[in-house]
Amino acid sequence: MKRFLSMAMAVVIVLALVLTGCNNARSGNATDPTPKGNETGQNTSGSGPVQVTYATFRVGAHVQAPGEKIMLEEFKKQYGDKIELVIEELPSDDVYINKMKTLAASNSLPDVLDGKNGIRELAVQNGQARDLLPYLEADPEWKKYVGEGAINANMTEDGKLYSISYSRRIIGYFYNKDMFEKAGITPAKTWDEFMSNLEALKEAGFTPIAAATGENAWTANLILGAMIGSANDEGNKLMNTMRPTNYNTPEVINALEMMKKILKDYSNPDALGSIYANAANVFCQEQAAIIANGPWMVGDFTNPEKSVEGLADRLGLAMYPNDSMYSEFDPGFILCAKDSNLEEALTFLKFRTGPFSQRTFLETAGSLPLTDQIELSEEFKKEKPLVVQHIELAGQAKYTFKTLDVTAYPIVIDSFQQLYPELVFGEITAEEFAQKLTEAASSQ
Amino acid sequence: MNKFWIAVFVLPAVLLFSSVYAVSLVILITTSFTNFTAGGGGNFIGLSNYIQLLKPGSEFLQVIKNNIVWVLLQTTLHICLGVVIAFILARNKWYKDVVRTIYMLPNIIPNAALGMLFLFILNPKFGMVNSAIRFITGNKSFMQNWFMEPKTAFGALTITWLPYAGITVILVMSEMTSVSRSLYEAAIIDGASEFQTNIYIILPLMRNIIGTATILAASNMLQKLDIILLTTSGGPGVRTTNMPMSIYRTALIENNYGLANAQGIILILLGLLSVIIIRRLYRMNENNF
Repeated sequence: MKRFLSMAMAVVIVLALVLTGCNNARSGNATDPTPKGNETGQNTSGSGPVQVTYATFRVGAHVQAPGEKIMLEEFKKQYGDKIELVIEELPSDDVYINKMKTLAASNSLPDVLDGKNGIRELAVQNGQARDLLPYLEADPEWKKYVGEGAINANMTEDGKLYSISYSRRIIGYFYNKDMFEKAGITPAKTWDEFMSNLEALKEAGFTPIAAATGENAWTANLILGAMIGSANDEGNKLMNTMRPTNYNTPEVINALEMMKKILKDYSNPDALGSIYANAANVFCQEQAAIIANGPWMVGDFTNPEKSVEGLADRLGLAMYPNDSMYSEFDPGFILCAKDSNLEEALTFLKFRTGPFSQRTFLETAGSLPLTDQIELSEEFKKEKPLVVQHIELAGQAKYTFKTLDVTAYPIVIDSFQQLYPELVFGEITAEEFAQKLTEAASSQ
Repeated sequence: MNKFWIAVFVLPAVLLFSSVYAVSLVILITTSFTNFTAGGGGNFIGLSNYIQLLKPGSEFLQVIKNNIVWVLLQTTLHICLGVVIAFILARNKWYKDVVRTIYMLPNIIPNAALGMLFLFILNPKFGMVNSAIRFITGNKSFMQNWFMEPKTAFGALTITWLPYAGITVILVMSEMTSVSRSLYEAAIIDGASEFQTNIYIILPLMRNIIGTATILAASNMLQKLDIILLTTSGGPGVRTTNMPMSIYRTALIENNYGLANAQGIILILLGLLSVIIIRRLYRMNENNF
């Protein structure tokens, strides 16, 4: 009897293991976006909606999460009977980037995804990304809303288009009008004046700049990039060059010297090493006079959970010195679908970058539309004047350039959080900093 | 017949081990000799990755040094602290349960939460440490950035794990309960004091378990990643970068899997070397008597 039981148990265990494996191999996981070879896009019954996998980091407290939700609901309403989106939600930008890079290594990226931070380049290298230009040319209505500017911005040298932007990014800096008035200053016209403004703010008892050097050093690097891009034509050329390999230039070194002073003397005390949320919190709580950031932050200024009451009314928007601003298009979405569900994935891509999405993200997150085909309503202009000012100021800018996040290799961006503290505490010089950035870029 | 059933029961474990560890290890070793990246590649490049990592002046040498220093600190100070506390708690005084529970807390809090906790405690502006220093010294402008100042970053990060030897305490205490009462009684009859009993009789009996705790502490130091990511991200420079952090950055930021896998091999070798050295130092294969 004992022996029989042992045998029975062993058989049951082995069978259970084998069957579990088989079952897993057969059934797709609803939350797993990884295409399963030929199964991708197939539905089990053959008559239901076709599956399209999509990964997103616009969830939770992300500024674009509300817009993403509306967009996905509308897509389901319009196409739910034909297309089923299999969505993988990833809780932060970093998690998203890391996961997509890992999937790129195994040629298993989702059908539609944001190609930010080098993901697009990896998808092109591994052969998953599709050239979107033929699809765009075949659909004049879609092309009208994408616009020539976004198309040219993402076009490769060999005339291929591997991603479609979803918004235009115009970035200046926000300043607290009350603090500026008390310090007796106005937005600076030159970088020398900018630095003397910071000193005046400090003397008036305010922390001049809200900055953070952790993560991708976003707020700090916006100031740095503006210094480089508006210094002269050479600096401007560098800030409009994709994947530069040389940062050993007088413009970069001079800008790093100024950043050293800003981070040492004019920023929030925890700027070194802290993350973007810290800098945003410092500014929104009126503990600093300036923050460099884009129009998507405007919504935070009226959010009572994030900002002090009435903050939006006390804020102004300025160009960077030398009449300069960031003006660029997001790298945007890439299409990695296989032939089996290409049509459906393309339908979703068109919807994600089309007029409904552009308008939704403008209204919910301050993301500027790609073209003037999306008109701003009078109500919106009245409700969010700071967003509208971005478009007006961009038209007056003498220098425009792209963010370091878009132009530089990800390894270069990652270097900033390690190098800023070394620079500020005098462990390395601005020249050595620039050399290390060059070495990082050259390693790619 | 018995052998057959042993094989049947062992087979799933062998298959699992082979598919999860053995295959991965083979892939790791082979790709460490290639230029495999996230976007493709995979051509054989000989020892280039290893030469790049180990050439004089390479940042990775500093990373290895950081890791070795942390392993040394953890296998000495951390273990000593744990053993001393275990001996104090073994006296079975009224505070035993409370102290043991409190001391164990940092070991059961997830590293992510512990990292956030220390970010707040050591925050330059509102952190508890700086606030206390400002209060005591009266220097209101004191704003030490413990994690980012090059001179304090390594120490600040080390303090997030070095003092919390709860695992060692529990292991040593449980081993102490297995010591025969007759040994204590014999020591008392011979006129040994409590201190002498602990030092000359009980401590030598703890050799194997302290060796085990030391191996655990060393391997823990060779795996640390999350708390470093949350606090310093390996900076300033590479002052607080350890090998897992370097592998993470090389693989997921630089997308250079070949180079990252070469680092992985060096990490495994360092781990094996640590275990061999610790086992020899503690003579873990030998009996106590």
